[in-house]
Amino acid sequence: MDSFIGNLELGFSTALSLQNIALCFAGCLIGTLVGILPGVGPIATIAILLPLTFQVDPIGALIMLAGIYYGAQYGGSTTAILVNIPGEATSVVTTLDGHQMARNGRAGIALGIAAIGSFFAGTVATLVIAALGVPLTRLALVFGPAEYFSLMVLGLAFAVVLARGSILRAGAVIFIGLLLATVGTDLQTGDERLTLGMVDLMDGIDFAVLAMGLFGFAEILRNLDNPETRDVVQAKIGKLLPSKADFKQAALPVVRGTLLGGALGILPGNGAVLGPFASYTLEKKISRTPRRFGNGAIEGVAGPESANNAGAQTAFIPLLTLGIPPNAVMALMVGAMTIHGIIPGPQVMTKTPGLFWGMIASMWLGNLMLLIINLPLIGLWVRLLKVPYRLMFPAILLFCCIGIYSINNDPSDVLLTAFFGFAGYAFYRFGFEPAPLLLGFVLGKLMEEKLRQALILSRGDFGTFVTSPVSAGLLLLAVLVIVVAIIPTVRKGREEAFQE
Amino acid sequence: MIRIRAPQEIAAGLFLIALASFVFWQTDDLTVGTMRALGPGMMPRALATACGLCGGALVILSFLKDGASLEHWSIRGPLFILGAAIVFGLAIRPLGLFVAGPAAVIIGSLAARDSRFVESILFAAVMTTFCWLLFKVLLSLPIPVAPWLLGY
Repeated sequence: MDSFIGNLELGFSTALSLQNIALCFAGCLIGTLVGILPGVGPIATIAILLPLTFQVDPIGALIMLAGIYYGAQYGGSTTAILVNIPGEATSVVTTLDGHQMARNGRAGIALGIAAIGSFFAGTVATLVIAALGVPLTRLALVFGPAEYFSLMVLGLAFAVVLARGSILRAGAVIFIGLLLATVGTDLQTGDERLTLGMVDLMDGIDFAVLAMGLFGFAEILRNLDNPETRDVVQAKIGKLLPSKADFKQAALPVVRGTLLGGALGILPGNGAVLGPFASYTLEKKISRTPRRFGNGAIEGVAGPESANNAGAQTAFIPLLTLGIPPNAVMALMVGAMTIHGIIPGPQVMTKTPGLFWGMIASMWLGNLMLLIINLPLIGLWVRLLKVPYRLMFPAILLFCCIGIYSINNDPSDVLLTAFFGFAGYAFYRFGFEPAPLLLGFVLGKLMEEKLRQALILSRGDFGTFVTSPVSAGLLLLAVLVIVVAIIPTVRKGREEAFQE
Repeated sequence: MIRIRAPQEIAAGLFLIALASFVFWQTDDLTVGTMRALGPGMMPRALATACGLCGGALVILSFLKDGASLEHWSIRGPLFILGAAIVFGLAIRPLGLFVAGPAAVIIGSLAARDSRFVESILFAAVMTTFCWLLFKVLLSLPIPVAPWLLGY
């Protein structure tokens, strides 16, 4: 307990320096701003804003990036409520009741309760991370290569199951991601792999190049093909502060949502996505008046929004303690950390405790900032929603170009990004979801390394993955997850075939 | 009668098979190694095999199940957006941000059907100035601004 408080103290003393407060504020503000803009989700937001952090020291950069992440998340909720467009998968649920509330003239209350619920969830999640950080890091130290490999397999299995679209496609996309990670010089033998003789590919594909191609450029191409119809709520936003009765209705859903979302967020593979859905279903099921759901029930906003934020934050746990990103956004954070010379994993906490705990403290600070920034600025955000896309995308394009060039001061990176932009567009046309690719790409190098290490240690015996109980358990779980997800689709497919 | 019932599936499947074949062809000279010491060719080929199998399954499914059609690929978007990025990449070193920036914005905005020429020229000027202030003046990133005029 003493170390728990001592660690948080260290964290706050780092996070509360004038520079870091300013960076956290800037991150939250810019993140929200870009997250609200039409057609820019959290992944794209972080990818586009990455270059802003290049000149800052690592801890400041991470604090700012975390701020950008929360801001982008909150921006997604705002567009879900005001324009019925979810910024990303996790705010889909918010559109159901949030947008209805807005149509009933209660947009302000919906935004207010979303912000307050998120703040509560963020506070709890921060404490959970601080409490679980130390024990989980110890767990990581007893993990050998075989266990690590199996854990990553489990993470990818979850990512396959939780991705949108068919399992076959999600699996293929992850394999492509892993395959892209093998490009470059093989670390053990020095052989060139899949470089096509290009010097630029000798060091492998740059993470930022891939991310900006797939999520910066390709997203513009995607949006240009389907111009979204923006149904901005014309009614007044109304007052923001929920009434006593609203609070009473929303209090328990917020608590339940926080617990659900927080627990699911820790899961490897995009568990955080499940939180809002689970919370919404739960609230509807236990409600005495389930008919109100879908017509602007405040519980339908409060629960899922809290679950969303709690999950968004506990998703940091696998990243900070084990060095394994659970979803595409966290994969992006890994990329950002490596650019700043930090290798995520258990050693971050022991070697640079100031950085680790400072970042955790800044999470809470970021949530507080969001509350302070968003409530008074909602009027401005509403106006931003009306920016026409024909002006938006050239600006994003220019930002991406400058950003990519600045990473290595290498013009050929920009050309390579254009190539991945086209690949991303082709993916979209083939019906592939690009987010799991990024996760596969980030895990790919680590997986191959651990696989090789494990096999060297076991003298070439594949049994090592099943003889270790931890590793065997993780692999079994991975197989189970996939099988459970496949069975219904196979059965359905058969039924369809039989009907003919 | 066999017919393709899901054009998008078969296209995706064929793409995966092509990718897998490409990887096999490219890693032809790399050793797979032994279980005890995996060679550099092992991972790429194992993954390519997995990709190819997924592709094969998609192709088979496309004959069994109805699915999405292959939508029309637009040319305008990719041409101008990626063209703008390529122009930026080629121009940034020799000509600098003051040329590459507006060029990227103006070429890129041609991708939208509702773009207006005068508006995009003005917008290009505004955005370039903004980026110069943000990235060069405020964040001092080493981007060439106008080497032909200012020497940096």
